[in-house]
Amino acid sequence: MLFSTYRGEVKALNGVDLGLYKREVLGLVGESGCGKSVTALTILGLLPENAYITSGKILFRGEDILKKSKEQMRLLRANEIATVFQDPMTYLNPVLTIETQLKEVFMLNSDLLRQAVVWQRNHGNEITFDDLLSGRICIGNKSADPKVSKDEINRMAKSLCIDILRLVKMPDPERILRQYVFELSGGMRQRAMIAMALARRPSVFIADEITTAVDVTIQAQILNLMRELRDKIDASTLLITHDLSVAAENADRIAVMYGGNVVEVAPTVEIFKNHLHPYTSMLMKAIPDVKNPSERLESIPGTVPEMINPPSGCRFHPRCPVATDKCAVEKPELKRVLRNHEVACYNVAV
Amino acid sequence: MIFVLLGASIIIFYLARGFPSGIDPVTPYIHSKMTAEQIEMVRRLHGFDQPLHIQFFYWLRDILQGDWGITGTWANSRPANEVFSSHFSYTVELSVAAIILTVAIGLPLGIISALKNNKLPDHLSRITALTGYSTPSYWFGFILQLVFFYYFSLWGLPHLPSSGASGMEGAVSRVTGMPVLDGILAGNLEYTLDALAHLILPAFSLSFISMGFLARIIRASMLEVLRQDYITLARSKGLKERVVIYRHALKNALIPAVTLTGMFFAMLLGGAMITEYVFAWPGVGQLSLRAVFQGDSNFLLVYTLVTAAIIVVANLVVDVIYVFLDPRIKY
Amino acid sequence: MKNSEVEDIKGEWAARWADLKYTLYLIRKNPLVMMGSLMTLFFVILSLLATHIVDPNLAIPTGYPEYGCQYPFQRSYVWSKGHIINWGPGAHLYGGPDFFLLGTDGWGRDLFTMIVLAIPVDIENAFIITIGAAAFGTLIGALVGYVGGLADEITLRITDIFFAFPSLVLALVFAALFGRSIETLRLAIILVWWPPYVRLMRGQILSEKEKSYVEALKALGAGHARILFNHIIPNSIYPILVQATLDFGSVVLTFSALMFLGFSPSPSLPELGNLASDGYFHIFDAPWLIVFPGLTMLIIALAFNLLGDGLRDVLDPRIRR
Repeated sequence: MLFSTYRGEVKALNGVDLGLYKREVLGLVGESGCGKSVTALTILGLLPENAYITSGKILFRGEDILKKSKEQMRLLRANEIATVFQDPMTYLNPVLTIETQLKEVFMLNSDLLRQAVVWQRNHGNEITFDDLLSGRICIGNKSADPKVSKDEINRMAKSLCIDILRLVKMPDPERILRQYVFELSGGMRQRAMIAMALARRPSVFIADEITTAVDVTIQAQILNLMRELRDKIDASTLLITHDLSVAAENADRIAVMYGGNVVEVAPTVEIFKNHLHPYTSMLMKAIPDVKNPSERLESIPGTVPEMINPPSGCRFHPRCPVATDKCAVEKPELKRVLRNHEVACYNVAV
Repeated sequence: MIFVLLGASIIIFYLARGFPSGIDPVTPYIHSKMTAEQIEMVRRLHGFDQPLHIQFFYWLRDILQGDWGITGTWANSRPANEVFSSHFSYTVELSVAAIILTVAIGLPLGIISALKNNKLPDHLSRITALTGYSTPSYWFGFILQLVFFYYFSLWGLPHLPSSGASGMEGAVSRVTGMPVLDGILAGNLEYTLDALAHLILPAFSLSFISMGFLARIIRASMLEVLRQDYITLARSKGLKERVVIYRHALKNALIPAVTLTGMFFAMLLGGAMITEYVFAWPGVGQLSLRAVFQGDSNFLLVYTLVTAAIIVVANLVVDVIYVFLDPRIKY
Repeated sequence: MKNSEVEDIKGEWAARWADLKYTLYLIRKNPLVMMGSLMTLFFVILSLLATHIVDPNLAIPTGYPEYGCQYPFQRSYVWSKGHIINWGPGAHLYGGPDFFLLGTDGWGRDLFTMIVLAIPVDIENAFIITIGAAAFGTLIGALVGYVGGLADEITLRITDIFFAFPSLVLALVFAALFGRSIETLRLAIILVWWPPYVRLMRGQILSEKEKSYVEALKALGAGHARILFNHIIPNSIYPILVQATLDFGSVVLTFSALMFLGFSPSPSLPELGNLASDGYFHIFDAPWLIVFPGLTMLIIALAFNLLGDGLRDVLDPRIRR
């Protein structure tokens, strides 16, 4: 897809082939400007007005969601695909309380809430978010529902909010609900965003650079949290980051992106042991090795390509140490070279 | 705030009494049959022969006792504050109606403009808003009168009255001084409807100009807000677009718009003067016009002080509203 | 000049040229601004050529009309010597050379001619007043903002006082006192219009003052006047220009409103508000006397406002990308 701007068309994505399997964490790694966040926005259907999708399809459970209407996409975002974004300071609404912003996610699914209230009435125990997660409460026969007041629904939503905040390890959830965004610390804000994503009980979780805007200690906390939640929720995660180490620790598979293309996809261990694409190799070399601290860090010569006039053929070829003539002419497709390893390069030594 | 009022009154006082080409302040107190000595006596009696700053102190002392001076013969020489207060309610009625209309029409216009940015509805409403803003206030009132009063009655259609605040004076006891409210309070439907019929045209004429202004501001502000990250997040939550706009965007967009309300009030009060003139509406605006031409400093002082006070109070109210809207501000 | 300096200057100009091209592109993309600029251009040209387009003789009162006349409207006016009547749009004098496009007023003056003659008056005054107010306000704001201290405080309070008045009221009072001539009217409106510029400029100056290049200049030994006039003011002039463009429309409306209320120096001065006030008394007999001058005023103000509004949109640094 591309962006139409004054200076020309910015050809942002040029063939992103990704597969996300159930219950896995796929790390999408790449430098800034390689199109990772744009990929996420494309999936969600939240691209700005000057964006055009020229070709391709996105399959969710077998359906091409690019063909869906806006309303259908909206429902998809509400129930299946949840996103956590990079900077919680700008991504949370400064004039609304946490409660409002969190509750509205629950209120999207008022039928479920109604069921929950009824269940609670009948069984006397307090409903927790766990119950919702585990599917003990589900939408039943609508006509058989007794009357549930708006007030009760509100209270149910509120108690679920408190519950979910506890789940994301937020201290003193009741007080937090009443507060505004600027009154929370960075880590807490990020947790709030995670809670808002979690509340939808999604089947796909997109985490777009969630650790970039926070410092290292909070980073660790957030990632731990994600790991714990991963076991609880039955979702697949798309972890977008530019930090290879984050991907290494948390992802089952890693996809490397460069210049709007996916260039290599493989399970984590495999990719670290046996990186095939020249770009991936150079990335690996650029990471400081704890075991050999005196070894020189190698950087990749050149700069990230300008997307208005990207290099022809393989977009990495100007910086590639093993580029051949063919690389400048034809763009290599992502091909499976090993059992679970795909690369987009002509010069792969297998 | 006091300082502003004081400063304002000083300026007007100087202009009204001290300015060399101004009207002699003695004018309201004399009539043509007096001799020169009598005039001189009156002058000395009211202290008009004293230096200006002493006059100012006299005036201050007087107003603190409730004596605002007497208006000229053009207003039957009644005390200035009486003249003012008896007509003030009409201006209030007109202004309030105009404000309601302005918000009711201007706000949606601005929002639509922002949502459909650069598409046809945006261009249409921008032109409408700008036209409103560019209309000469004296002209629009006439056009309305022409169409709704004159031509309608020519064509046999029910027409709206063209002047005055009410066609049935005295039919209802005067509680608030505002015809519509009085009618409602007295339960007199006919009177109320008549008052409303008189109110519509001038109120619309007055609001037409500020409507455009408001729409312009809201549009700019909404455009800015809609570009923010938190709107993206709100959309990614799967919220309905309408919820995103009204709950998330609007509140943020109103904040900068509210700050301009003070200026807004100033515009309104100024515009009311001309509208009242055009529609022969018995408010203080058109009275002040006559006062200016007659050189009546007493009335002018009352008028300017009250309007200045209103504007200052409006600004304070805006500050308070600001605190409510934006939780980041702590008082 | 050394080669490198020449290169620098060329680079700077190239950057400015590219910027200008981008601005023109944005203007082209925005139909409203295009319309506004075209309209404004039209009016400016019109006002420059006004006296050549129409015959000013048609604007002289001719007293009681002596010819019969035929016009396409339903209403029939009976005329006779001793009555002053108004002829509607499209009136045509028998035996006479004149065709009154927009009708006449009670003294036989052609409305169309008067309007065309009035346009330059309004536009010229709008420019003079706006530029006067802007210049005056900006200068005071710059000085006061730079010097700071007590002068700053006092000036701020004074502008506060001015803000407490509805603009029309104050201008009215000034106009009533200063007497009736064009110059005093201009002065009256300038006096009312300068405070916003003071505030605007002062705000700009305050933020510019803290910037590092000012310190650098001081270290180089530049005098205060030089810093202020050669560097700070040119950097801050930008929003002032935008505001001034936006103000043209409001100023011309205020000016004609004052005229309408009766402050014109002479009843025969061709000015749109003045024409409208004549029409006030004949509104139901001869509505064209008000409709057309007011309409023209609206179109002029609209042109200015479109231009100013669009320009502000186009030059907004956040929209330019």
